[in-house]
Order: sequence, then C-alpha cells, then structure tokens
Amino acid sequence: MSHRPMATDRSATGIPTGRLAVWWVLASEIVIFGGLLASYLMHRLGHPEWANATAVTNTWIGAFNTLVLLSSSFTAVLGHQAAEKGDGRQAARYLYMTMGGAATFILVKTYEWGHEIAAGYTITSNGFWSFYYTAAGLHALHVIAGAIIMGIVARDAARGRNLHRVELIGIYWHFVDVVWIFLFPLLYIAK
Amino acid sequence: MAHAATADAHDHSPHAHHEQSRLVKYLWSTDHKVIAMQYLFTGMFMALVGGVMAYAFRMQDAFPGSSIPGFGVVAPGEYNSLVTMHGSIMIFWVAMPVLIAAFGNFLIPLMIGADDMVFPRINRLSYQVFLLSVIVILASLFVPGGAFGGAWTAYPPLSAQAQFNQTGPGASMWVIAVALEFVAFLLGGINFIVTLMNARAPGMKAFDIPLVCWMIVIASILFMLSVGPLIAGAGMLLFDQLVGTAFFDPARGGDPVLWQHLFWFFGHPEVYVVLLPAVGFVIEIVAVFARKKVFGYKTLLYTTVAIGVLSFFVWAHHQFVAGIDPRMANIFTITTLLISIPVAELILVIIATLYGGSIRLTVPMLWALAFVFEFMIGGVTGIYLGASGADVYLHDTFFVLAHFHYTFFPIAIIGNFAAFTFWFPKMFGKMLDERLGKIHFWGTIVTFNAIFIPLFFLGLKGEHRRVYSHLNFPELAGMQPLRVFATAALVVMLLFQLVFLYNLWKTFRKGPAAGKNPWQANTLEWTTTSPPPHGNWPADQMPKVYRGPYEYGHPDRAEDYWPQNLPPQSA
Amino acid sequence: MAASHHPNYKKIYLTLVILLAISVAGPFIGIKWVTIITAFGIAFVKANMVIQNFMHLKWERRIAKYVLAASGALLLLFYYGVAPDVQAHRGQHWVNDDALAATARGIPAPHGSEGGEAAHDEPSGGGSDGSPAAPAAAAAAAAESTAAPNAFNARAAFAANCSPCHGTGGRGDGVVAAALNPRPANFADPAFWRSRTDAVLIRTIQGGGAAVGKSASMPAWSSLLSEAQAADMVAYLKTLSH
Repeated sequence: MSHRPMATDRSATGIPTGRLAVWWVLASEIVIFGGLLASYLMHRLGHPEWANATAVTNTWIGAFNTLVLLSSSFTAVLGHQAAEKGDGRQAARYLYMTMGGAATFILVKTYEWGHEIAAGYTITSNGFWSFYYTAAGLHALHVIAGAIIMGIVARDAARGRNLHRVELIGIYWHFVDVVWIFLFPLLYIAK
Repeated sequence: MAHAATADAHDHSPHAHHEQSRLVKYLWSTDHKVIAMQYLFTGMFMALVGGVMAYAFRMQDAFPGSSIPGFGVVAPGEYNSLVTMHGSIMIFWVAMPVLIAAFGNFLIPLMIGADDMVFPRINRLSYQVFLLSVIVILASLFVPGGAFGGAWTAYPPLSAQAQFNQTGPGASMWVIAVALEFVAFLLGGINFIVTLMNARAPGMKAFDIPLVCWMIVIASILFMLSVGPLIAGAGMLLFDQLVGTAFFDPARGGDPVLWQHLFWFFGHPEVYVVLLPAVGFVIEIVAVFARKKVFGYKTLLYTTVAIGVLSFFVWAHHQFVAGIDPRMANIFTITTLLISIPVAELILVIIATLYGGSIRLTVPMLWALAFVFEFMIGGVTGIYLGASGADVYLHDTFFVLAHFHYTFFPIAIIGNFAAFTFWFPKMFGKMLDERLGKIHFWGTIVTFNAIFIPLFFLGLKGEHRRVYSHLNFPELAGMQPLRVFATAALVVMLLFQLVFLYNLWKTFRKGPAAGKNPWQANTLEWTTTSPPPHGNWPADQMPKVYRGPYEYGHPDRAEDYWPQNLPPQSA
Repeated sequence: MAASHHPNYKKIYLTLVILLAISVAGPFIGIKWVTIITAFGIAFVKANMVIQNFMHLKWERRIAKYVLAASGALLLLFYYGVAPDVQAHRGQHWVNDDALAATARGIPAPHGSEGGEAAHDEPSGGGSDGSPAAPAAAAAAAAESTAAPNAFNARAAFAANCSPCHGTGGRGDGVVAAALNPRPANFADPAFWRSRTDAVLIRTIQGGGAAVGKSASMPAWSSLLSEAQAADMVAYLKTLSH
C-alpha cells in the first residue's frame, strides 16, 4: 500500500525529487531561523546595555562547539562521497561519526547551559538570555532531530538501501552547521 | 464517498494488494485522493463550527444580553473567545485546508498526469499533524477560562498575559494549534511544489500546466517563505505566556510592535495564499463553461508571480495606527495601492475570457461569476483602507470587517462551493442536483450581501470591532436595526446551507452517475474514471500530453473541446 | 545526479578551521571594526564555503540557487522593514519610552567582573568597546562601573534621553536644539552652574521646566528617574563642564 509512486522518480527539472524537497525545506528554515535571529539582532543593536549580559557567554566553549560541528559536516560530506561510490557501509560509518559530533555538541551545550543556569542566568533573566536560550535551543532541537533521521538513513545505508538519502540528510546537516556558523559570532564573539 | 475510490482501486489497480481493512483504507491511506477527502471533510466540519460561532456573536450584537436560541447567554469574555475562534478557525482550519490541502491534493497529481504525490507518506503525515491541530484547537474550547479571547491577531501584551486575556490555558493551546497547523502546511506545501516541478506527464511543458495547479503551488511557496518569522514569533509568544520571558513585554525591555511585524509579515501574504487557489478554480470553471481559451495564460501567470512578490511588501498597512514610523506608513501606502493593479488584472483577464464565450450557466459557473462580482467589491473597498490617511479613521471599524468579508467570503466559501460543485462528479462519480444547487446558490449570495453591506455603513459611522454591545455607545445605538437586519440575514443564510446538505445526502443515496467527463473539459483529470482508481490510471496507460489545457473552440477540431491527452491526429 | 564533482574536502575543512581560529582571535585585537569583520565577515565566508562545497550548490541547477536566494532576500526585507520600528527607539513623531528606560536602567555587570568593562553609553551600533571620551567623563564612567552592580548609568541615560536637545556633550547643541526657543541649557558653560543649585536642578529634571518657572520644552522625567537617580544625573552633568 505504501508503494513508491511513479511520480517520485520523474524529474522535469533535472533535480531528483528528494533533493529538490530538501532545498525547499532549507528555504523555509532560513526564514524561520532568520526571523528569530533578525529579531535578536534588532534588539541587540537597540539595547547596548545588553553587553553586560553577553559578556558572560564562554567564547571557548562556543568555539569548541563550532569546531565540532564543522568536523561533523566534514564527515557527513565524506559519507556522501562514499555513498556515491556505492559503499553503503563506509557511508554509514561516516554518518555515525557525524552523529557522534552531534552528541558531543549536545553534551557540551548541556554542560555550558548547566553552568549558566546554576550561576543564575536563566531564560527569564533578561532579554539577551531569552534570545540566547531560544535561538540556541531551537538550533539544538534541529541538531537532535537531524541526528535521529541520520541514524535511520545510516542504518539503511549500511544495508545498501536508499543510498541517495545520505546526500539529502547531509545537505540538511550542513544547513544546521551554517546556522551555528552565524549563531557563534552573534552570541559569542561580536557580542 | 471516498470508499468508492478505494473500492474501485481494489478492482482495477495493478498495484492491488491484500484486502485492506476499513481502518487502514480511510485513516492510514497514502493515496492523495483519500487525504484530500480527509482535509475536505475536516474543513467543512470546522466551517460549521465557525459558522455557529458567528451565529452566536451576531445574535449577541443584535440582541445584547439576551439568551440566544441553542446557545444561551453570551458573557463578555465569551464574546471575545467567539470572535477570536471564528476568525482563527475560518482562516486556518477552513480556508487553508479546503482550498489548498483538499483541492491541491486531489487535483495536482490528476491534472499533471501523475499517479500520486511524490511523497505520499509525508502527505499522510501532514494530515495527521493537521488533525492534531484540530483536536488541540477544539479542546481549547473546554479548558478553564475557555478558548483564547485575544483576537486572531493575538497582539501581546494582551495575548501574552493571562491576567489580561482571562483565557490563560486557551491562549497557549491556540498558539500550539496554530504552530501545528503551520507545520502541517509546510509538509504539504513541499509535496505540492516538488510534485508540480518534477512529476509532470511526458509532453507537458510548463505552460501546459492548468493554471489552478500553478496557483496552488505559488500559494504554497508564498506560505513557506512567509511563515518563518511567525513561527519564531509563536515560540517567543509561547515562552512569554508559559515561561515568563519578556520578548514582548515593554516593561522589561521587549517590544510588542515586534510581534505585530512578525505576525503581519506572514499575515498579509497569507491572504494571497488563500486568494490564489480560489482564483485558480474560477479560471478553470470559466474556461470550461465559456467554452473558450483563457484570455492570457502567461499574463495570468506572470501577474500572479508579481502579486506574490508584491504581497511581501505591503504588510504594515495593518499597522498604520499601531505607532509605526510614519515614513514607513508612507511606503506601505504606496505598495498597498500598487498591489491592487495586478489583482485587478487577474479579474480583467477572467472577464475577457468570458467575453464572446458560449456561456453555460451551470451551478459551478454561477459560483465562479459570483466570485468575480463579490471579490471586486472587496478589492475596491480595500483601496480606502490602503490609504493610511483614511485608515486612521477606518481602522478597527466594521468597514474593515466588511471589506475583508467581501474578500474572504468569496475566497473561502464561494470559491469552495465553485470548486466542490465543479469537481464533485470526478470525486464521487455522481452528478449533484442542478435545481437544488441553484436554490442554494441564490440563497447564499443574496443573504451574504444582506449581511455585510449594512456593516460598511456601520463602519463608516465609526462602529468598532470586537465590542460586546454597541448599545453602550449612544451615538451608534440608533443603528441597531441594521445590526438586527444583518443578523437575520445570517440566520437565513445558515438555513440555506441545509439545502446544500440535502443535495449531498440525496445525491450520495441515488444521484445519477457522472461518467468520465460530464462537463466536456480538457484537463487530464477528466480522462480517467469517476472516481479515479488508486494510481489514477492503469500503470500502462499513464497519459501523455500534446497541447495546452484550454483548447476550446479550436478551428482544427470538430468538437468544441480538445483534451490534452489526445494525439494531434484526433482533430 | 549533479554531484559527481567532489572538491578536496580535507582542504576545505582545514581552511574552515583556520578561519574559525581567526574569528576567535579577532576580539583580542580590541578594535571594534576588526572584530566585526573577523566575526561576521568570516562567518559569511565560512557559510559560503559550506554551502557551495559541502552542499554542492556550486554544481546544482540554478533553480535551487534561486530558491535559496529568494528566502535570503525576504529575510533582508523583513529586517529592513521591521528594524525602523523595533531597533530604533525614536523616529518621526514618536519615542519608545519603555525601551529608552530599559536602556537607561542598564543591566548589572555580572558578579566578579566589577571594574571590568563599563556598560555602553552609545545608543546605537553596539560594539564591544566604548568610544574615546573626555578624560573626566571616562573617570566618571570608571567610577560608576566600580560602584554597586545596580548603579544607575547616568551617562547612558543622558545619551539616550537628553542628548537630542542638550547635545552629546551637553552644550545645548543637540539635533533638536535649533527648533527650540529658548535653547536648551549648556552644561559646559560655567555661568550655568553659578546660577543654579543642585536641588533646583533635581527638581527641573523630575518636574520639567514648568516646575521651576522655565520653558515647558524641558519635559518631566520623574516617570523614568527616581530622585536619587536624578541626583546622580546632576553629578554626571557637572563632569561635562570640565
């Protein structure tokens, strides 16, 4: 009953349907994250007194997490390369490495937030912290969701099935990385 | 109903599998036609809910404080909830699911010659998420405090603080329900867009696609690109409500105007999201029942794209009196007045299509013509509101309300009835009764005008929206007869819907069979059985396309229509 | 599939890491513009590299690029359409008192960093360093930052609320001053200080010009400032006369 319709394999644009869909997903995610970050930026530029709050975020932890995500993007694209060659098991291995990066990211974030909350900087402390937790939290949810889907794709790929999906989850993963590439300077460097 | 579709599927489809239980067939199907039916009937049910709410608050407005038959006395807080829920339900749970999800799901694969949407399981998921949103919003009617009462626009601080809106749990459930509905439509939208872009039948070039498919897909694109900031804003509002953040609390460094911008950046493109499919239905119907090629296919298409782009540049006309910078108000006045030009262009092309045609006044055609007429009134009255100077007086009065009902009602109700009566034979394999259809049509249209024309005058006199009883305003109290008249017309309109329901019941029981192509139309959905089987056509008979969708009255052809899938030698 | 093109991923990854290191190092140089370029400029470069090479947008069909470009353009539209109302705190015929009050109130410095970075005094374009100021004003700022964490930041409040009329240096030459008659007070003028007591000035700030028999163009600020804060403001104004 859930057979694959003929429609899914047609391609009048030349882009396979799965990949075309991922581009549209990214377009909508750009406006979601963009809306949130634009709202943050307007508030930050209009409230210079937030500098006292932003000074608290730990640049080194942020930089480490950036490194983790960059590396996980690297392993994701290597996974794509392997999948293209038809090597599902190698692709799965690279995807598992990427998921490891995701887990590291979340663990570090948990540690970081734990410290900040214990020190009294909660989501209601002031405007900056509200945005900080909301934006980074939304990003973290996308990391977790992406890792879960990646796990499913990796499991299939290891059995040689649906190898084309390795590229698709990879594109999504790179997007999550790109969002963080912008969150990092906003929340940690040029604060 | 839908069971006819899958019953046929079981007999004819080469993909026939094991016998499916009823539960699987109806609730777990990935067939785009079944999902379309799910959206259609859910939307129609919600229309009844929204209509009953309108009945209740109109009766309160006409006879303040009295006990309303079938409802009881409406308390002031309840009035706010009714008004809020009516607006929210009609836009998010009636207009969008029926216009886009139901008809988009049903028509797009059929009209482009595909066997289903490209992502059937995501399609099913989108309905399930949508159903969840329906459950949440209906459940909010029963929580302590009742349904959210802060207007469908949910401006904070009113919407953020329970002490102000008096409907704390309901307010958060409203935000969650709306967010779920957005997710459902994002999922659905991706399906529509990718299916149209990629899954066309061989031979179908971009300009051979029926315009209604373009309209629904462009609407989906508009939705996807505009909803993002509001999703972010909804999260922020939810946090303000539940966690105590101050995103929109001015006393603690937040800004309520930010919410307004987030909301209307989406809210304005949203009205075009619902307008475009309705215009698409009208175009299809007019071409078929004028037996004439659409006057300007490319004009319509490019104009629609222009409307889509421009719709992103007009949003702050909802905020002229909210305290935005007057220089921004200048800019938005200009863009708002500008956008009336391409919209008028659409209407003119439709009229030009009618001109010189061989008109058949069937029930769908009556609805389509009514759309043009009524929407023009709505559009023209919008011009007054787009001019910020006039809007200073008219904002939040019943003039605005009458304006947007003269646009929304044609879109959501007239457009839906037009599409429903037109494609009913294809969906269910039977022909509706024309005489009952005409009675229902005239009853609805006449009463519609009787309800809303008085409201223009009330608005011009300064009567404000969202007010529990206008008898509290001595200078407006003398106009109570107009309010009573409008309410009486609403009651009559609701009664006329019984004619429609009776027509449905009678037809399902023993209506005449429809055949494949009762309207003698060109587009691909009319080349398969009514209703279509699972997979739409036998796998070895998927259509190929040789011409555009509107070849009516072609000189090379004996008949006055030329279906898209017939080879050139069939002249 | 378009992506049979595989650039040297290792090289790109190493470049990304180096760029990350540069962006982290940027703030240590201490110049605002360098920080912004290294932080955001590099962010754009890194994002572009990831998008073009890892996502393979470089080799993708144009339609995908148009789709992403459209969403990016809409984001810019959103920002530029909303910022004039939300980021700015005053405009043509309007002032956002609540936001200005929040700016003036400031946020207490975090524990353990008293005497460190002073709160900002610029109402716009938040960077990470204060602008060069008159030595006396800087001394006053330093004094404030070593005060209790909840110290009222008179400098910021003045810049946000008073400078439009009185000018950024308090010389009565603000952008609005040309339209006012009489002109706003010039705090740099010694004659001004000889003619008024502190108590009168506090009353002027709290109750407006009308409360002390002067021009009503001077508004009352009691809704924004307590008396103690008004006294702090007077102390700050004195520093402007040096």
